[in-house]
Amino acid sequence: MAIEKMALVNIVGMKNELNEALVKCCESGCFHIEPAFRTSNGSVVHMLSEKNPYSSTLKEFSNLASALGIVLKETVSDKYDDYAPEDFAELAAQINAEIDDLSVFRQETSKSISEMENTVAQVNHLKGMNSDFDRIFSCRHTAVRIGRLPVDNLQKLDYYEEIFFFVPFEMGKDFCWGMYFCPKSDSELVDDIFSSMYFERIHIPSSVRGNPDEALVRLGDMIKEKKQSLEECEKSIKNLSDKYEEQIQQVFTKLKELNDIFDLRRNAGEIKGKFYLKGFIPEKDADRFEKLFAGLKTVSVVRMPPDADASCTPPTMLKNSWLARPFGMLVEMYGLPKYGGFNPTAFVALTYTLLFGIMFGDLGQGLLLFLGGLFVGKKVSRQAGGMVSRVGLSSMIFGTLYGSVFGYEELLDPVFESVGIDFLPLKVFKQSNFILITAVAIGVVLIFMSMLINIYIGFKEKNYEKAVFGNNGIAGLIFYGSVCAGVVGTVMLDMEIMSPPFVIFMIVIPALCVFCRVPLAAAVKFREWRLSEDGEKMTVGNFIVENFFEMFEYVLSYVSNTMSFLRVGGFVLSHAGMMLVVMTLMDMCSAAAQPFVLVLGNLFVMAIEGMIVAIQIIRLEFYEIFSRFYEGDGKAFEPVSVSFSSQTD
Amino acid sequence: MLEGCSTNAVVAKIHAIRGKMFKAENYRELMTRRSVSEAAEYLSRSARFRDVFGEADPNTVHRGFLEELLYRENFNTYIRLCRFQQLEGQPFYDFPVRRKEIQTILTVINDINSPMDSLSLNALPGYIIAHSRVKLMEVSTAKTYEELLKALKGTRYFKILSKIPPREDGSADYTECELRLRTNYYSDMLRRVREDLPGDSKHELEEMILRDIDGRNIINAYRMKAFFGFSAAEIKRRSLNFSCIGKKRMEKIYECESAEDMLEMIGGTVYGRGITGSGSIETAVYSEKYRYLCSKLAGATSAPVALYAFVELCETDVSNIVHIIEGIRYGANPAVIESQLIML
Repeated sequence: MAIEKMALVNIVGMKNELNEALVKCCESGCFHIEPAFRTSNGSVVHMLSEKNPYSSTLKEFSNLASALGIVLKETVSDKYDDYAPEDFAELAAQINAEIDDLSVFRQETSKSISEMENTVAQVNHLKGMNSDFDRIFSCRHTAVRIGRLPVDNLQKLDYYEEIFFFVPFEMGKDFCWGMYFCPKSDSELVDDIFSSMYFERIHIPSSVRGNPDEALVRLGDMIKEKKQSLEECEKSIKNLSDKYEEQIQQVFTKLKELNDIFDLRRNAGEIKGKFYLKGFIPEKDADRFEKLFAGLKTVSVVRMPPDADASCTPPTMLKNSWLARPFGMLVEMYGLPKYGGFNPTAFVALTYTLLFGIMFGDLGQGLLLFLGGLFVGKKVSRQAGGMVSRVGLSSMIFGTLYGSVFGYEELLDPVFESVGIDFLPLKVFKQSNFILITAVAIGVVLIFMSMLINIYIGFKEKNYEKAVFGNNGIAGLIFYGSVCAGVVGTVMLDMEIMSPPFVIFMIVIPALCVFCRVPLAAAVKFREWRLSEDGEKMTVGNFIVENFFEMFEYVLSYVSNTMSFLRVGGFVLSHAGMMLVVMTLMDMCSAAAQPFVLVLGNLFVMAIEGMIVAIQIIRLEFYEIFSRFYEGDGKAFEPVSVSFSSQTD
Repeated sequence: MLEGCSTNAVVAKIHAIRGKMFKAENYRELMTRRSVSEAAEYLSRSARFRDVFGEADPNTVHRGFLEELLYRENFNTYIRLCRFQQLEGQPFYDFPVRRKEIQTILTVINDINSPMDSLSLNALPGYIIAHSRVKLMEVSTAKTYEELLKALKGTRYFKILSKIPPREDGSADYTECELRLRTNYYSDMLRRVREDLPGDSKHELEEMILRDIDGRNIINAYRMKAFFGFSAAEIKRRSLNFSCIGKKRMEKIYECESAEDMLEMIGGTVYGRGITGSGSIETAVYSEKYRYLCSKLAGATSAPVALYAFVELCETDVSNIVHIIEGIRYGANPAVIESQLIML
């Protein structure tokens, strides 16, 4: 349950072996690269600023594949191991030369079809015209423009003194389709007027003749003709695609690999003709990693402690047991701990599983979750599946304690009777007070544990404000514990616990410690009395006001965080309530429909409530528990790798 | 009368629409577009302007039409909000229409005075015509000042403009017309606010209007001093006679010896917080106004305050977008465009 120990490695060698060194780094699967040109000691390491010679050719092959309709996928590409960037470019040019003409023809024909289809759409708007295009366009003294005018501007037409008239054909929501006529001598002026009103002119191709109906027929024929020649062109392209597919797949795979490895060079530094790489590896893999470079003549690998270079922070790789590992995704979701910090995965695994079981206790549904988890783990996601199967098991255990199987609350009663356990199963509705109080008690215990973890972390970091005087430190723990004990003793156990010495020593003094945590911690750390940690000037008045409100917030958070755990009990009742609804609905149905209602009801409750419970526990973990001790400010360990993708950028 | 209208429904609706308005990152994304059609395409995908295009094709839309569509959307949003609360046509709430009317009249006067043979009708936004009580199309076809007055007969503007005599060549004193029209607009607005609105809303709205006037006066005063070297008396005569920071303080600004002194003094007012050596005074003053209106709108609970701030912010939003589109059209450097935008 810790964090994997890291080692900082520096890799140095002659520049001609940089690519091979990067390939080895990728092959190792355990090298987290850091920018090598950034150093803490100010040494002169230059960034390698080279243009990637593979990127343009890679794009060309991607375009070729797309032109030929080839879906790119990873394939064996050893054949091209010795190819230089120029060889790839030459190959691309060769294939391009063959498909270029066809590609241009296809593009032009498609464009022409699209234009004609557009014209069809426009001529459709002119159906009300009932005149011959030839006759209209052959007018010698009259200029004609066809198009559409924004409806807003139609009303302005009457106010112009120029000689023109507009004939509307079709009125849309935003535009009015029509044509305007004007003397050819005034056409420039009238065009300007219409242009100022955003008239969108349509250019009818000269091939369109007759009235709109005839024009539409003719356009239809032309489109058909073009589509036929496009089909033939597509056939020729398909033949070329069959011819080159294998080669393109292989070349693209190789180029993608070379391109991505070359991109990694951006992290390399350069000193006097030598390359310099740095990064982190898990200490356990260090020997294996070093051996990988044995074959490279000029390359040497130097292993150092992870904190040897102040310019880079070691990444975090969680080290979890088999049981807790799937819950690592929740910790990652919140933020990883910093290197050397506290790994809370085991704590999360334990509390999450426990709370889920309590809130979603049903033997039958738990079993389904467990089986579902196993299936998801095998087929979809190991982590998600692992989590579901574990919480499923917990749900089964608590389901047994509640005596609940798919909503049947009495099914297990004979079993407990035969074994002789008379306090089980727990009858949820009859013991609702007990359940709610237990839920709060669980919350108190979890908050206590969170504070203890915080104290441990505080001492480890030598942060005495956090460990001793803080609201989650020893002072906070005593204050919170005493108040809880006082309330339980006085209200529930009828004990006279809140005596003056108890109140003074266990509540007031710890509260004062929390109130004065900054000066107290400063006194321990710097051996001097100051009101603010960073030495900023602060008046006593400011100090009191600021800390009064902070204390108020802390007390409020103790209360609200504790009461927040009431939801655990609430969901126990809600689960039983929902299943009661399913059972009541089933009783209302005919005997034939009852199995369907039972199955659908169970599935519905599992889906809805399972999801809500899962989310509510995440909320409890993140807000009520993590906020007391955890700071997810670590950096994820991301080993470099080259993975295939058909995307080129 | 207006008390009853200050309900929360329209304020909530305004806040909802405000959430869709462009932010700095949206402007930056828009600036990365290489052509007007790409910019139009980006706008057609935005939550704020998704429905603006209707039957218009973002790929082929004319730049001028695109701008008109954006301004029309602002106007339609305002109309929708008024209809939602049955505020349409009520005094005070017609302020965007009045502004457009004044703008149209000033454009007509400008065209009348201009030696170019331009017709204001071309520039008249079609969406405003149905909402105005002024016969805007007749006004826009006026070729002389007399024709303009004839077209304005029976409207509030006739009384104001008829007091300004036309020049011998049929043109009019544009500056005087603008001053009187705006003075009438602002005094009318302030009167309505003082008479009809209750306590807090009255003070807030009054301050917003007066700050708008101050911003306008400050920018005009600076231009008059920097580019025309006008005296304090001339600047004062051409400025609107209202102020939020006090008439005496404004007069002190007008009395500055040079444009640099004026800039320094403006820098000491609430309007000049953002003035730097390199940026323009307009951007600084309007950005300050933008920040002020944003904070007012964020805390607004009354309908008139929220609506007034919202309409102003929408106008700024669209003018920023129009500015970016212009920049894209002329291939301007995005950094330069960004420095001229009015934003937080």
